[in-house]
Amino acid sequence: MIRVRAALAAAAVLLLSSCGGGSSSDDAASGGLAEVKVSVIPIVDVAPVYVGIQQGFFKEQNLKPDVVTAQGGAAIVPAVVAGQVDIGFSNFVSLMVAKSKGLPLKVVSSGVGSTGAAGKDFGGIVVKKDSPIKSAKDLAGKKVAVNTLNNINDTTVRASVRKAGGDPKGVKFTELAFPDMGAALDKGNVDAIQVVEPFLSTALKAGGRLIASNYVDTAPKLTIAGYFTSQKTASTKSDIVKRFTAAMQKSLQYSAAHPEAVRKALPSYTKIDNSVLQELTLPDYPAQVNKDSLQTLADLAVQDGLLTKAPDVSALLP
Amino acid sequence: MSALKSVVRLLAVPALLVAVWWTATEGSTDYFWPPLRTIVGTFDDTWFHGRLTSDVLPSLLRLVAGYLLALVLGIGAGVAIGSSRTLRAVLEPVLEFFRAIPPPVLVPILMLFAGIGDGMKILVIVTGCVWPVLLNTVEGVRALDEVLRDTARSYRLRRGSRLVHLVLPGASPQIAAGARQALSVGIILMVISEMFAASEGVGFTIIQFQRTFAIPQMWTGVILLGVIGVALSALFHLAEARVLRWYTGLRRAQREG
Amino acid sequence: MTGRRNGPAPAWLLGGLGLAGLIVLGELVPRSGLVERRYLPPVSSMLSALADQAAAGEFWQALGETLRGWAIGLAIAMVAGVVLGVVIGWVPLLQAALNSTIEFLRPIPSVALIPLAVLLYGTEPRSTLLLVVYASFWQVLVQVLYGVRDVDPVARDTARSYRFRLLTAARTVIWPTALPYVMTGFRLGAAVALILEITGELVIGSPGLGRQIAVAQNSNAVSAMYALIIVVGLIGVAVNVVARAVERRALRWHPSIRTEAAV
Repeated sequence: MIRVRAALAAAAVLLLSSCGGGSSSDDAASGGLAEVKVSVIPIVDVAPVYVGIQQGFFKEQNLKPDVVTAQGGAAIVPAVVAGQVDIGFSNFVSLMVAKSKGLPLKVVSSGVGSTGAAGKDFGGIVVKKDSPIKSAKDLAGKKVAVNTLNNINDTTVRASVRKAGGDPKGVKFTELAFPDMGAALDKGNVDAIQVVEPFLSTALKAGGRLIASNYVDTAPKLTIAGYFTSQKTASTKSDIVKRFTAAMQKSLQYSAAHPEAVRKALPSYTKIDNSVLQELTLPDYPAQVNKDSLQTLADLAVQDGLLTKAPDVSALLP
Repeated sequence: MSALKSVVRLLAVPALLVAVWWTATEGSTDYFWPPLRTIVGTFDDTWFHGRLTSDVLPSLLRLVAGYLLALVLGIGAGVAIGSSRTLRAVLEPVLEFFRAIPPPVLVPILMLFAGIGDGMKILVIVTGCVWPVLLNTVEGVRALDEVLRDTARSYRLRRGSRLVHLVLPGASPQIAAGARQALSVGIILMVISEMFAASEGVGFTIIQFQRTFAIPQMWTGVILLGVIGVALSALFHLAEARVLRWYTGLRRAQREG
Repeated sequence: MTGRRNGPAPAWLLGGLGLAGLIVLGELVPRSGLVERRYLPPVSSMLSALADQAAAGEFWQALGETLRGWAIGLAIAMVAGVVLGVVIGWVPLLQAALNSTIEFLRPIPSVALIPLAVLLYGTEPRSTLLLVVYASFWQVLVQVLYGVRDVDPVARDTARSYRFRLLTAARTVIWPTALPYVMTGFRLGAAVALILEITGELVIGSPGLGRQIAVAQNSNAVSAMYALIIVVGLIGVAVNVVARAVERRALRWHPSIRTEAAV
């Protein structure tokens, strides 16, 4: 028992001492390369970061990205605001909401966008094969699963309903994680699901029917998400941030032009099954943010009550 | 002890901590650590205008249902497992296996069987609460003195009366420890269950605040959870005092006899 | 018990039977069509996904990171929980003064603390460690408090009237009574620490098995995800085996173990 106690005490001491030495992640140059900490969600949307690393676009800018994956905004935004992470990845509705609450955020690069082709986008609304729901209009009064409530996906589903001539107020949204949606649809727990790749391909393969492409219905060539930093990091590490933006530009352009490179990069940070990997619809990787589409998104967010007043989209953008 | 004295005892440390929090954050401009003054100021607006009945009440009802179910299951299964060495040996690894699985990954599996309604959320609370009760009951029953057991056997107590007069009272201090642990675990699971397929509830509201960066409101939610914890624990102490008085009386009688 | 006459079957064999039963059930339920295989694959395909994972160094590194974070967090929670539990439990004034604060802090879920942890330590393992210690500390503390309360009042009064110092009282009077409670606290705390370690990795993205689970979830790699969950469950089983072994040594004299040995 004494030995156990001694070991426990030793462990505690070790830990406390390791806590004491605060490590800061500023310009820790490794081989002349400046390290930039990037926090992303391990999904198809962020492939250009990995493509850029593989193609050496970050190295060209003397950058060494340290990419960490997180589940979502709950972990990413505070880390960026506190300066623990330099760059984060988020969708634009979240960023607008954050900005409206006074969080000092700044977008540094576009990230991912809709392909703009109805029926051939990387996200959409799926119902069961034999469902009486024929179009987004029929969703009124039905239960629809989205991955987060009061965010980009329910906003864009409402846009689909409006476009099809239905009443978006009647739609009952339920929050479910993408991986759990297929089962809930099958069991009849929900009437429709809004999914993105690779879940879209899987749902369609399992007999689902696509009734609308919600991103396409919202705005032509909607920019969905992007990379952001805190205003503090933007000013204290302005050079690193500028170089990151430049490297991202090149990575986005290259990824948009080379889908095979994207498919090759995906297995390096996801576990997507190989058969799905070859078939899934890739999103667009626009090098520039489509400002008009964001203004539409902002107006919808105000209309749906996510935001109390119209956000200044330009103030958020680079 | 005078009533005043016990009130002072009860409130001195909390008052001190609140004072420290208040002064430490006064004038804070940090977005995620707003001044306590701001948090307290938003409390009323956040919770007392409809959310008490639309969010807090449904959450508490699910919590009570899940907690009571966990107590019944935990004590029932605990007595059975604690009294049979064979059963214990067979089930222990299986139970330990499930106990180690974090609720956020267990919930999707539960949803496959229980859907996404209130039943699923109650089930999530049960799967968390049951462990402290079960484990403590098993240990409590195991620890019963062999002498007492033999006495009971020699007096030819029937199984039912042995359970009521010997096993449950004997194990009750440890069962009480488990039940108390389960209470706060239940509150935590109540929040976690509302991270899935929810549209109302305390946990759901807190997560929404967190996601929409309504940080002072999120803090009021955290404080509310603490207040719920204190209130439920006070209720628990009342119930526990009744149950254990019966037990202490019995123990005293056994000693004197 | 009829088994007693032929000599009881060893515990590991019975436990193995239990796990085997679980495996059979996990194979049959999806195959029978009770649930869709797409959502809950049979155990055999989970195990083959596990074999794929085990071939990669990434998996073993993640396993090591998870175990390290868990062990450090649990050690801190145990030391703090036992020391504070004995002190608070032994001094009635302290317990009366701290009771409400403890009850207030305990039910605050670690998930609500995630943004704060991230604020302090980013996505480093220390963020997760904070959650692990916070959650498992209360499990240990409350068990110890109950254990101290269970000390025989006569022994307690004797110790007080002889003015035992706290350390002496702890060793001679408190510890023997409280030890079974402490052991249960250890087992409860160990599981909660593991749960929070995985959850923290999953949500915050600090390195470990939880992050691997998050990646598998986001990739719709169902079998791979369940394979990782099985590993987490098995860690739980292993932890319990260790806890039982420690318990048998520490509690040799206690009725719960004595009867076991007698059978």
